[in-house]
Amino acid sequence: MTTAARRTVTLTVNGAARSAPAEDRTLLSDFLRHTLRLTGTHVGCEEGVCGACTVLLDGEPVRSCLLLAVQAQGRTVETVEGLADDGRLNALQRTLKETHGLQCGFCTPGVLMSLTAAEREGLDEEETAGQVLAGHRCRCTGYAGIRAAVAARHRAPGGPRQAPRGGGAEAAG
Amino acid sequence: MSLRKGSVVKPPVFEYMAPATVEETVRALARHGARAAPLAGGQSLVPLLNRRRVRPDVVVDLGRVAGLDTVRVADGAVRIGALARLRTLERHETLGAALPVLRQTVRLVAHPQIRTRATLGGSLCHADPAAELPALAVALGARLRLAGAGGERELDAEEFFRPGRTARRPGELLTEITLPLRDGFTHRFVEIPRHAHGGLPLVGVCAGTRREADGTVTAARIAAAGAADRPLRLRGAERALTGGPLTEEAVARALDAAASAAAPPADPHGDAAYRTALLRTALRRALAAAPHPGTDPKERA
Amino acid sequence: MTAAPAGPGPDDTTARPDAPQQPTGGPIGRSVPRLHDDRLLRGQGRFTDDIDDGTALHAVVLRSPVAHGRLTRFDAGAARADGRAVLVLGPDEIARHTRPLPTVWRIRGQRQDTIELAPRTVRYAGQPVGLVVAAGRAEAEDVAELVETGYEPLPAVVGTDAALADGAPLVHPEYGGNTAGSARFGDSEDEVERALAGAAHVVTRELGVQRVAYTSLETRALLAEWTPGTEQLTVWAGTQVPHPFRYGLARALRLRVDQVRVAVPDLGGAFGGKTVLHADETLVCLAARLLGRRVAWTEDRAEALTASYQGRGMSATARLGLDADGRFVALDAHITGDVGAFVSQAGTGPFQVAAQAIEGPYRFGRAGASVRAVWTNAVPTGAYRGYGMQEACWIRERLVAEAARELGLPAAELRRRNLIGPEELPYTTRTFSTYDTGDYPRALHSAEQAVADAPRVREGRIRRGAAAVPSIEATGYGPTSLLEAAGMEAGGWESGRIRVNEDGTVTVFAGVVAMGQGIETALAQIVADRLGVPLGLVAVRLGDTDTTPRSEFSSQASRSVVVAGGALMRAGARMRERMHALAASLLETSAEDVRLDVEGEDEPVFRAAKTSRTATWAQVAHRGWLGWGRPDPDRIVLEETVDFDPPGLTYAYAAHAAAVAVDLDTGQITVEGYWAFSDSGPLVNPMIAEGQIAGAVAQGLGIALTEEAALDPSTGLPLTTSLRDYELPAPATVPTALHLSHTSTPGTVAPGGFKGLGEGGMLPAPVVVANAVADAVPEIARRLERTPLSPYRVWTMLRDAGLATG
Repeated sequence: MTTAARRTVTLTVNGAARSAPAEDRTLLSDFLRHTLRLTGTHVGCEEGVCGACTVLLDGEPVRSCLLLAVQAQGRTVETVEGLADDGRLNALQRTLKETHGLQCGFCTPGVLMSLTAAEREGLDEEETAGQVLAGHRCRCTGYAGIRAAVAARHRAPGGPRQAPRGGGAEAAG
Repeated sequence: MSLRKGSVVKPPVFEYMAPATVEETVRALARHGARAAPLAGGQSLVPLLNRRRVRPDVVVDLGRVAGLDTVRVADGAVRIGALARLRTLERHETLGAALPVLRQTVRLVAHPQIRTRATLGGSLCHADPAAELPALAVALGARLRLAGAGGERELDAEEFFRPGRTARRPGELLTEITLPLRDGFTHRFVEIPRHAHGGLPLVGVCAGTRREADGTVTAARIAAAGAADRPLRLRGAERALTGGPLTEEAVARALDAAASAAAPPADPHGDAAYRTALLRTALRRALAAAPHPGTDPKERA
Repeated sequence: MTAAPAGPGPDDTTARPDAPQQPTGGPIGRSVPRLHDDRLLRGQGRFTDDIDDGTALHAVVLRSPVAHGRLTRFDAGAARADGRAVLVLGPDEIARHTRPLPTVWRIRGQRQDTIELAPRTVRYAGQPVGLVVAAGRAEAEDVAELVETGYEPLPAVVGTDAALADGAPLVHPEYGGNTAGSARFGDSEDEVERALAGAAHVVTRELGVQRVAYTSLETRALLAEWTPGTEQLTVWAGTQVPHPFRYGLARALRLRVDQVRVAVPDLGGAFGGKTVLHADETLVCLAARLLGRRVAWTEDRAEALTASYQGRGMSATARLGLDADGRFVALDAHITGDVGAFVSQAGTGPFQVAAQAIEGPYRFGRAGASVRAVWTNAVPTGAYRGYGMQEACWIRERLVAEAARELGLPAAELRRRNLIGPEELPYTTRTFSTYDTGDYPRALHSAEQAVADAPRVREGRIRRGAAAVPSIEATGYGPTSLLEAAGMEAGGWESGRIRVNEDGTVTVFAGVVAMGQGIETALAQIVADRLGVPLGLVAVRLGDTDTTPRSEFSSQASRSVVVAGGALMRAGARMRERMHALAASLLETSAEDVRLDVEGEDEPVFRAAKTSRTATWAQVAHRGWLGWGRPDPDRIVLEETVDFDPPGLTYAYAAHAAAVAVDLDTGQITVEGYWAFSDSGPLVNPMIAEGQIAGAVAQGLGIALTEEAALDPSTGLPLTTSLRDYELPAPATVPTALHLSHTSTPGTVAPGGFKGLGEGGMLPAPVVVANAVADAVPEIARRLERTPLSPYRVWTMLRDAGLATG
């Protein structure tokens, strides 16, 4: 078989309805990056190990390299581009910056999306730094700055449970 | 494995179908037979597609099939739809209370970001001999319901897992897994991954025992992952433990029985001797972790 | 984590532009947040694979599936007939359109002086033999599958032992053997043998460090565009070295260098893996040129693990001789380096540096090391973070620990007797390294104290132990004369350019590149500090052969702050002087009377003390570009460029300590605590410095415990083609008890007294873990000769020692 079937994929990305053609075999990661031009989601292994491509699908963190774009038909996707509010870093992003939780920044978008989901779910620090971070590989930081960010968020007034739930940009403030 | 002549990281061309009912799914699977790949959570299938190690003509997405992701606890059993996500099972409070070992084992599988997509049925059908859930299914005596064009059939987990494959025929769909709740049993799953910090599992043991108040083991069900070309029921170890207390001698006999039943693979992460030693360690730890009867009723499973 | 600067007093005068830096309220020494972080956090990084807007074609590299063989058939008929094929290149077309790549650093005796792009004799699994271009990556893969190839297999040479065995198949029959070249460093073999013969005690070990894959999270990537009208090749490339990249491309594609522009977008890590031009990258550019189109290529993870060059791959027979008092009378190492299928641009470099760095922070009566570089049927090796020095540290500190164990002496005492003391510096080693400044015993003492109370458990099934080791890192490569003497075709200098724009903003141009290490922020801090302006005025431009200074080494070898920073320290002092002179002319006073005042991030203001007249920094800059009131009629352009060729290497140092647990039932090792005491001179940004050290320690733990790019011993095919098998350090690999601290002894080589620190954190990590394991389980100490200490290997040792049952 040499002719790839194509269909239109319609989904909600960062609060906005998006629609574009995709081959059946197109991965969600490639659809986001190359079709929708949301290149903040990075691809590091295309086998689900590194975690750089993690996005939220209907609020849950998933590997976008292990999903076909057509599987996201009608669903809600959140990517790193949706975190900042009008360009202003949200509290989690600011914390990661303050704790030097990123160096090259390639794994960072996936880490941010996993931590965002963990905060919304109300996972405690141990679960977040243990189970959730275990789903990411960072070659630069030795994880020290990322763990420091998780700790700082759990120490912050109001704590990470304040992170808003939703399909779009964070509410101001 | 060998390199291909050109590097590949994108799936080959295939046709995608997303049936809405079990009937439609079974029809589609029957029509395409071995040329169809059922797509459940995709956490095992899509990496294989990306590297073109599988080349189905048709990918049948089970994700939109209604009613395949239910979880019911009733009548002395847990019934789980094949498409139930592992993250759902992990969070399910009734399930966690009824069968704590399920939650404990699910949490050993990969990472939360994988478990949000991975399904119980997908893991059982992928049937990696070193994976946790197939061994759990064998230890618990799971029944697997398969739907095919000619109707339904139900298999014991031990019949389902065959050397290097499963008993699922092309065209068949795994629809439901029934895990009996065995009165008085406590189970523990102990896994030894490649490294102290984790990594892929090398060997795992799910050990369940039923014990009298005086400590006598009246029944045992034990299965191992990574010990053979399929999840391995360790009947010899069960026999060695049954009928007396969990003495050092009984445990030693069980470890010997487990070791003699094992036929683990060899690869750069360990030869058969190493994996057999890990099997002994995992079994010993699983038995040591079992609470003394009566001390922790919540841990009953 | 603490930063505890120490050293001489403040200096912020133009009279002493090179003086070591201390916190002066200026930006140097402050942990300011990094300039690029915001956009990276917003998902607005611009990595190479992010650039294409959908117009580029996509390439797939065709590669050899065998480790050694002759390509007897390359039939692209079916592929070309497929409507989706835009271009298919095989070895013959490639040969017709290209020349081989140049080598850079040839070891003595090395006759292989070029690198073939797509030879018909393939020498490693994954070697490029062709290229396919189509509209998208998936389509290109479809077409690639239609290319029919056939190979006549040749026997694969796997590992250097096999390569050096009698009757071994030859990787390059034309050279008559598998030895690519050899060299000796330090004292002659005869002299070292004599010293060893007189030693009271000699420890001999076979020590090795495995092949490792760089595994930057961003793989190598390239977007190449050929503009037919202007005949210009523009390449956006994930490279650490844009200028050598351009030079190699121009040579291979038969272009003038000024026809090629190489621009470096955001880099998702590099670790040495992006310091050379690879053959596959060249083929992508060739395709762009032949097509007159944009062609994109992003290496996939399997390629990154198998076809990208690798690091390490060394074994050594090493001997340490001690006298009756435990003094080191002789050290000898015979290093065998696995260069792989061919010597890459600097493929023998790490082995030569390992030999050069063999002594570390100790005194030896005699010391020398021989290097033999050996071809095998494996992917070539090259620069990897820690470059030879980690290997040297592994050899040296395993020997020292084993000597202490055999002699029944505390290792700390043995080290103390032989460490070079601060009063002995500068100290020249037997291999002619001249250490500038530091206090090695003090660092080691801190590390030993850190684990003094760590648990030592020698009974039960979980053993515990600890160790501390010192290390030295040669940084700031390097004096160009040294490189010339070493036969390396590379200049070690850097050029730094500061432009004060007509609106008062400051643009800095340097030859180093940003790859996640935060160098753009560090350089901005240096320039803002030297000029006396707020950090917000300064922008840093890096990594574009059209605009940034030529640089050979660019960002590698822990040199960016030392050499590029050194150039900018001086350029900043000059620019500050010029701005003061211009301000004095406007304010009608002398330059000495002018003071530059800065209030926070507000615009700086020049103030004449005598007249109280003021002019803003921007006003002065604007008049400067108009050419008004200039003190020197011949100087108008407000740019200062300084070329800095460091007069020597400057030596950073550290001591690390680790506390480990060893599970006798599984062979698993847990690092329970880790301490690094580092001294890299004054730190420009302590937060960034700590990040570099933490990351390097983690990478060192990968070498110690998990990572190995292994080959099948019979076929030579790679066994680790996926991150499932090539295991990076995970969060749990790195202990939460990771303690980093610094002292700051200024060096004497570079302006500011800066020393490098990009690699130092990984040098002692593998051996301090191994020595801690030896402390926990002395029964297997003798056999801790190679990394990684994988559970399987450790368990095998435990079983053989009777500590584990099968």
